[in-house]
Amino acid sequence: MKYSLLLVALLSASSIMAETTQVVEPVASETKVTVVCPPDQTIEINELEGKIKILETQLGEVVQKAQKQESVLAKNQSILISVIGQGVAPMNTLSPAQAYALAKRAAVADAYRLVAEKVKGVRVDGQDVIKNMMVKRSTVRTSVNAMIRNANVVETTFKEGLCEVEMEITIAHSQFAQ
Amino acid sequence: MRSRDGNNYRSLAICSVILFNSLVLNASEYLISYRYVVKDAILYNESLQISHAMKSCIGKPISFIELSHNGANNLAGIIDENSVEFINFIQKLGLHIEHKEFTLNAQNSSTTILTLKTRCFKVDFNDNFARISPLK
Repeated sequence: MKYSLLLVALLSASSIMAETTQVVEPVASETKVTVVCPPDQTIEINELEGKIKILETQLGEVVQKAQKQESVLAKNQSILISVIGQGVAPMNTLSPAQAYALAKRAAVADAYRLVAEKVKGVRVDGQDVIKNMMVKRSTVRTSVNAMIRNANVVETTFKEGLCEVEMEITIAHSQFAQ
Repeated sequence: MRSRDGNNYRSLAICSVILFNSLVLNASEYLISYRYVVKDAILYNESLQISHAMKSCIGKPISFIELSHNGANNLAGIIDENSVEFINFIQKLGLHIEHKEFTLNAQNSSTTILTLKTRCFKVDFNDNFARISPLK
């Protein structure tokens, strides 16, 4: 009986203690970091910021100038277009000279085509067939139609069966308008 | 020198007429067209068509090229002897470019056709050279 009373008293005491104890949750506190520079260093930082601003403005001016120069071909001005066309000699040639002549002809045609692409533009048609999330057939057709006059061959090189022709053409603003 | 009939001017006049006619009649007009095809960066076909003009052309010569020849008596022969120079000359006159490229599943093939459309040329034949000038 004494032991049972003692047990009850201990249990009640432990329950009272449990009610009084609270779970303390950690609270996130805001931290402020302040960097304090010596007065000499703050002056240097201000100078650097000023320099960066000046450089940014200069860069902006340069970009604007470049855009102006590139975008518009002004009146009474001309533009020089230079391309390098490539051609290959056929396999069944009788002599190296014939191979050179044929490869050069092909390279000239390629150069003309490149000039035409730059001056007149390219028409591009594309078609993709997709079935069950897979590309079954992909086709791209490009075509160029132009008339080129007064193009000059500047340099011709022939090396290992490949002929390269450098071609130049000067186009005035009035010719572009046509 | 006095001629047998006593008129020295008549023979001179006849000679000058013959000389003039020979120079004028040697100038003739030709129709020339040129076309070549390049397929996959290899020359596929090239053709140069030369024909006498059946009726006189309208226009004036704008530029000229002089091709020397060694006894060739027709234009085709003269051009054949100097084909590189002549083709470079007619390329400057203006070529029509028709290019088609086809890419199927990343495999590419291309065809480029360069054409000088039929154009009238005035050709003056001389002893050692011929002067060819396009009319415009």
